[in-house]
Amino acid sequence: MRRTHRVGVLLLVPALAVIVAILVLPVLQTVLLSVARNTTSVLQAFDFAGLANYQRLFATPRFLTAIQNTLVFTAVTVPLELVFGIVLALLLNRHLPGRWLVRLAILLPWALPTALTALMWRWMFNGEFGLFNALLQGSGLIEQRINWIGGIPIAMASMMTVSVWKTSSFVALLLLAGLQAIPRDVYEAAEVDGANAWSRFWTITLPLLRPAILVALLLRTMDALRAFELPFNLTDGGPLTSTETLSLYAYRLIFQYVNFNLGAAAMVVQFAIIMVIALLYIVTLRRDPYA
Amino acid sequence: MPERRTSLRDRLALWAIVAFTVVLSFFPVVWLALTSLKPAADIYAWPVVLWPDPFTLANYARIFAESRELLRYILNSFIVATATTGLILAAGGVAAYSLTRLDYRGRAALMVGILAVSMFPPIALLPSLFDGFLRLGMLNTYPAIVLGHTGLYLPTAVWILASFYRTIPMELEEAARIDGASTLRIFWSIILPLSTPGLIATGLIVFIMSWNEFPLALVLGSSDAMRTAPVGISLFPGEFSFPWEIISAATILAVLPVVVLSAVFQQRIIGGLTAGASKS
Repeated sequence: MRRTHRVGVLLLVPALAVIVAILVLPVLQTVLLSVARNTTSVLQAFDFAGLANYQRLFATPRFLTAIQNTLVFTAVTVPLELVFGIVLALLLNRHLPGRWLVRLAILLPWALPTALTALMWRWMFNGEFGLFNALLQGSGLIEQRINWIGGIPIAMASMMTVSVWKTSSFVALLLLAGLQAIPRDVYEAAEVDGANAWSRFWTITLPLLRPAILVALLLRTMDALRAFELPFNLTDGGPLTSTETLSLYAYRLIFQYVNFNLGAAAMVVQFAIIMVIALLYIVTLRRDPYA
Repeated sequence: MPERRTSLRDRLALWAIVAFTVVLSFFPVVWLALTSLKPAADIYAWPVVLWPDPFTLANYARIFAESRELLRYILNSFIVATATTGLILAAGGVAAYSLTRLDYRGRAALMVGILAVSMFPPIALLPSLFDGFLRLGMLNTYPAIVLGHTGLYLPTAVWILASFYRTIPMELEEAARIDGASTLRIFWSIILPLSTPGLIATGLIVFIMSWNEFPLALVLGSSDAMRTAPVGISLFPGEFSFPWEIISAATILAVLPVVVLSAVFQQRIIGGLTAGASKS
């Protein structure tokens, strides 16, 4: 047993070393940077600034806008993704015509790079030569071409659309495992009792799927709260700062305005928001009678 | 869902939903592919030219003739994603084995800890990784991007691998141990062959995630020679406006590998994603 123990720990060393070096220490330093002044490395210089960076941030309207944008983006996209995700998961769980094609269709949005997905949509949203304007004008639904990513608040709506397109299928994949774990005889019993498909969905599928739904919501919410490459590549945070997320603003504070300490503080605030929401989900999940 | 004979109306409705899903999922890529096959003048035309007439590979030829840096970006993505996948399977494979099959204190806590750090926002890593790799003289090198990606995706990989290892019966291992096999011997000749499907699924998922990763590659490989495909293409400078004829062709080339992998290995990838998620 003692030998097992030693080998077991040895086998962990490479993975833990990378995780500590790339994830744990950098995040710790980000926290320290957020309470320091004029430094890019706390090992090099550490001039304690207390909460000065945070005070400055919360007095910056652009930061508050970024928080608001991030929360609105998350609150709109995550529920939509859940609804589409459930529909897609139910679809994937059936014996379908063209199952191979359906599976690829569901995998594809997840597998495409978000940055390049944003480019594809930017091209379709293009105000002069874009596909959407062509289709809408061709079918007589609009008269003037619309600048999908050039206006407020339509740019935010466009960004949300891309996000829902990109991630609904990932939600479906997360829910699929939960669906497959529901025993068939539960449905057969309900059918004998005369329950139709609709009531079977509400009384059996949805309650039994609830733990999987909560996990999917948790993962998607955390992901939406840190959205970066979508605004970076679709709208560049604009027009003005109407689609600038917390991640994008923090990135710009550091690499555009070269203020590591203010940027770190913005990241810590973002992290705190993510943690609070994650904890809410986990507490709900713990209390769930089906979990 | 119980399978039953369904009415014609139900089947038509199902077909309609399937068709709708497939069209919805494919149209952005298809539209970009069509764009890339049009003569450049037709790309900037109103009303929009829907179908390439004539089909042309001129935009692709232009990449090879004038914008070879775009090919360099795709090569960089290959190098980074391949190295990241190798490192993660090596380090993650033994770590997940240790965490699921060997007995010592603190195992469960470590698994939870690894899950927790996988939730760190990648953006929060950037200041330290940028500053650290800069001081080490490693900024704009493959090792910096590869190490970054390895750290970023190792926790997820460990969780997916652990879910595969748990499906291997413990008795096999115990029998070998009674026969006097060492832990490493058991891992090499029993666990590894049995977990090959898990390693393949995890490798595919890691490869795709590394291929697609944006913020770390943007910051750690910002020099023109070190950009990965998503970074290089999205930052591609246009003289007057975004050169969509070049960008569309380059994007199609850059997403081709992940589309092909998804098409060929769809069941393994979906299996890996759902296995990892259901355990968390």
